[in-house]
Amino acid sequence: MESELLTFKEKNPQLEVVTELIRGQHPHLKGFYKNKNERVVCVKNMTPEDILLYATRLRNALGRKVVKLKTRHVTKHPSVQGTWTTDVKF
Amino acid sequence: MAHRRCLLSLARHATAVISQKKMPPLSAVEVLTRKPNPAVTIPNSELSWFSFWSHSRHFSSSKSEDSETEVEVEMEEASDVEAENDNAASDLGRDYSPEEKEAEAAAIGYKVLGPLQRSDRVFKDYEPVFAVVQIGSHQFKVSNGDSIFTERLKFCEVNDKLILNKVLLLGSPTQTIIGRPILPDAAVHAVVEEHALDAKVIIFKKKRRKNYRRTKGHRQELTKLRITDIQGIEKQEIKTDGKPLKAAVKNPEKIAAAV
Repeated sequence: MESELLTFKEKNPQLEVVTELIRGQHPHLKGFYKNKNERVVCVKNMTPEDILLYATRLRNALGRKVVKLKTRHVTKHPSVQGTWTTDVKF
Repeated sequence: MAHRRCLLSLARHATAVISQKKMPPLSAVEVLTRKPNPAVTIPNSELSWFSFWSHSRHFSSSKSEDSETEVEVEMEEASDVEAENDNAASDLGRDYSPEEKEAEAAAIGYKVLGPLQRSDRVFKDYEPVFAVVQIGSHQFKVSNGDSIFTERLKFCEVNDKLILNKVLLLGSPTQTIIGRPILPDAAVHAVVEEHALDAKVIIFKKKRRKNYRRTKGHRQELTKLRITDIQGIEKQEIKTDGKPLKAAVKNPEKIAAAV
């Protein structure tokens, strides 16, 4: 894991990667995001590849809350040609 | 006997000429029974050829179309074939060459351009233009500045620029361009913002009176895209007067209906 952590560190210069030894706790990854959220992933009994996968997932996420998406399409301008109503005649 | 032999050789010739796959008949009785075969095989083979062509619907549809759409349709067909090949390849192994990656991305409907640089100024103000774009099996109506969640796109990192090239329709307040089915020279530019997991979905199976319960969680992988630009249609300033706009909108749709 230590070698993979090093390569992960090198590949992502924008991240600040710190290792800490905490006694009496499971090993975990903790991601701090710019929007002051933080996300914790427990990596107890995981293979190095799995841990790397979770680390990249933490890296790829924006740190928003996990909510059920109402729609997969978010727009500020819903209609360009005008919303259709029953009065519109073509 | 001589008569029979003559007949046999004749039949052999005929079968060899018409269908080369067929084995020459062994006994005279067989010859007699197979005699009508050549007459039957010809329409059969013709039928099969005809059905082969009729399978590719582009052939019949492109007759009345102009040459441009024909080319486009052919291209689409080619890409379909590519996609099938890719699927076969992807089942075998997980290692992709760059060409394979590109082909697979093209089958889904995007192309990776590379990472977004600090100096790139791709994010622009809103323009009154929209496009209907297809990614995988989903279609989105997007305009500049929208964000969409698609199924996770392979081979692209966060902060990559993408071109979505399966554009089905373009529209502005005055104009509508309808592809059939795809507009070849239109493109939608997007940036990958995030690879994330959707909220957890719980799959619960239960059988009555059988002491059977299974619970399974699933989190779908999604990719968040931000649309930066739509190309292939002329853009205008935002107008405030509604009447001329509506009149202009009327015409292209009528044309489309006529076609």
